[in-house]
Amino acid sequence: MIDHKDLRPKDLGNPDQQLIKLQELMPLAAPYDKPGMEPDFKEIKDSWKEKYCASLDGFVGIDTLIRPKSKEEEEEFVGKFLNGLEKIFSDANNGVLQPLLLSFEYCAKCNTCSEACHTFAASGKNELYRPIFRSEVLRKIAKKYFTTSGKFFGSLVGADIDVNWETVARLGELAYRCNLCRRCAQTCPLGLDNSILAKEIRKIFSQEMGIAPNPLHEKGSMLQLKTGSSTGITKPAFLDTLEFLEEDIEEKYGRKIKFPLDKKGADILLLHNAGEFMAWPENPIAFAILFEEAGLDWTLSSEMMGYDNVNYGLWYDDTQAKKIALQQMRVAQELGVNRIVIGECGHAHKASAIVADRMAAAEGKIPVESCLPILWDMVRTNRLKLDPGKNNFPVTLHDPCNVVRQMGIVQPQRNILKAICTRFREMTPHGVDNYCCGGGSGFAIMNHCNFSDFRNKVSARMKFKQILGAFQDTMENSEVPKYVCAPCSNCKGTIRDILEYYQASAKFNVHFGGLVELMVNALVSMEKPFLEFLE
Amino acid sequence: MALAVFAYISMVLFIGITAYKARKLAQLPLHGRMELYPVPGEKGRHEYGGSYYEEAEWWKKPRELSKGTELKEMLKEMLFIKKLFENQRPLWWLSYALHLGIYFLAAWSVLIIAGAFTELAGLPVKAGAAAGTSLWAVLLYYLGIFTGVVGFALAAFGSGALFLRRVFDGTLKKYTTPQEYFNLLLVFAAVVSGLTVWGSDPTFGNARSVMAHVLSLTSFAAGPLLVLHVILVGVMFIYIPLSKMSHYVGKYFTFHKVLWENEPNVAGSEMEHKVKQALGYRPQNAWSAPHVKAAGAPAPEK
Repeated sequence: MIDHKDLRPKDLGNPDQQLIKLQELMPLAAPYDKPGMEPDFKEIKDSWKEKYCASLDGFVGIDTLIRPKSKEEEEEFVGKFLNGLEKIFSDANNGVLQPLLLSFEYCAKCNTCSEACHTFAASGKNELYRPIFRSEVLRKIAKKYFTTSGKFFGSLVGADIDVNWETVARLGELAYRCNLCRRCAQTCPLGLDNSILAKEIRKIFSQEMGIAPNPLHEKGSMLQLKTGSSTGITKPAFLDTLEFLEEDIEEKYGRKIKFPLDKKGADILLLHNAGEFMAWPENPIAFAILFEEAGLDWTLSSEMMGYDNVNYGLWYDDTQAKKIALQQMRVAQELGVNRIVIGECGHAHKASAIVADRMAAAEGKIPVESCLPILWDMVRTNRLKLDPGKNNFPVTLHDPCNVVRQMGIVQPQRNILKAICTRFREMTPHGVDNYCCGGGSGFAIMNHCNFSDFRNKVSARMKFKQILGAFQDTMENSEVPKYVCAPCSNCKGTIRDILEYYQASAKFNVHFGGLVELMVNALVSMEKPFLEFLE
Repeated sequence: MALAVFAYISMVLFIGITAYKARKLAQLPLHGRMELYPVPGEKGRHEYGGSYYEEAEWWKKPRELSKGTELKEMLKEMLFIKKLFENQRPLWWLSYALHLGIYFLAAWSVLIIAGAFTELAGLPVKAGAAAGTSLWAVLLYYLGIFTGVVGFALAAFGSGALFLRRVFDGTLKKYTTPQEYFNLLLVFAAVVSGLTVWGSDPTFGNARSVMAHVLSLTSFAAGPLLVLHVILVGVMFIYIPLSKMSHYVGKYFTFHKVLWENEPNVAGSEMEHKVKQALGYRPQNAWSAPHVKAAGAPAPEK
């Protein structure tokens, strides 16, 4: 094991059993600044070390990255990686070639990006998680094999790394220690983006080597292409779920609401993250209550790919992302709606509105928009009768990176919260300077071996610290309920996990949820609280 | 004469290779959208990082864009290295010294060339006190001294200090290759050699005289220090665009064509035309993973 202070990018190929071990993490705010308030890391099992690549930092992110059984397998693995590395600079990768080449070529290694990274900060500034560490390893390998200067001058130009199974596998794992939140890119004086390089490594593994974390690939995008949803919900199951929710709405809130379904020519096709129907059905219920009360002309779709807005391809595989996005577009076209509105799911916002924007010609393409401006319009134009007094408890807002930093949707959600809550307060920092929840780019659903420990204790640590900071005035008063508003399924999942991991809900009455739940809770027409913790 | 020819060749190569690099970058295929907010072109929203996506049915509303704000932000970045100033002040002092020094030296070079032409035209470039000196010549004289002294001092300090920082900073050292030390040393050596050649005459009369010979392609006596200086500067000019010190080219594309591009694909737009063209392209290389090969490349929709 190497002391992280001495760790250099070229050490990635070292034969050590484990390169570094996380020890002194960033301190948390009160009351979590006291000893014993935080669970320790789980011990890594020998069986994990034998089967997977746990030799980076003792965590396993890629559950399909299996150690080779022979020298031949090892060589084949390295060879495939190098083939893939060459391809990212070819026309197979046209869609990202210009940004990639810029970020690959021009880094001045000024290290300005490090301070922006929540994972680097949370890890106690461990060298392994410095944003340029991973990028530099990739540059070294590419220089060694694919540049004239690297072949002739070797270490003089940085081509000084041993490339073996361990190097490549560790680099693959290291690509899953970055949330792709792009906060570091905001600070780069040259406008470069380390997340592009992290994602390219993931793409090489998936698109060339066929290796990607199961929750993202087999149980994610592949399942979605097969069944219509990454949750595995099929059309009949989806219809059953809606029926159940309609009964639930009537029973709990005394309202008769029928989810509009496959309504041809509707104004709005509302696309939810299907995970909401399973984990947080109150979210689609709240949307239905608000849209009905505001009298919108909307519909859900029960068609294949029409009832799940997720697109995990965004995080690791461009070919998967394209297949999913094009099929989702087709559903909207066939329904003949005027617009697609994306529910509270950050990565789906980016996938449908930004990434898919150039996947098809504009003619005939259904425009995509976020749910947040529509929700703000409902409040602004008084189409909803709201009583902020019903939300008389501390509320803070988490900004999903995909919605805010990568789409520029900053004010609508804030305007709504200011109108419907009496005790809204911002996190520090917030808006486009926000920190990722720590679950971005797939981490929220990756729980293999001990990966959830990495998420809860490291990548989501900064977010937990921000939450504690936002509620410092009442944090230790368990009589006062506190609400973290996270208008994104992945962020919500991560925040759910950290509140549970640190027992913040049980001990300090901290809750989480979306924006629409708070809006419905504030509706004058609601006879009893919509938020369960208020009952 | 050979020295003058070498100086011309190095300048031609500097401009030529820079233009070639810019052209190559500009010709790269249309990429997916990768904006990062705040985007300066967003009129009225840039201050807090907002965009047109904050409007319901944004495609039906006129987009409010501001080229002025984009230009202002671009100049802040070019002239002051704003992001480094905001995010890493200790390094900014050194980096800005080097960059400001380079800007001053560029201005100084223009003034020396202008002064040489002026002297070739028979107008001596002298201090204002001399009788019969024109205002133009006086301006060239004093501005030449100011930009030269400040430029050489800042560039020498900046390049030397950045080099030393890389040598002694434990973190930077880990990421710095011998080539990157060489880059800084080359700039430092070129600047210091200039200081030794021109430093004996802070009015830079010698520099104008040598420049006049170079411009008129007439022979002149060059001492070993001058020869070394011209060679170092020439090599630096040829090497910069070949190395990553050509970030002055890349930076335009990273900001204007990636982070600040902000160009949605709407019907009838120029972007739609570009998207249609890009969708028609069939790549020569293909990915090999089974799930990619099995399905084949997804057919683009037209």
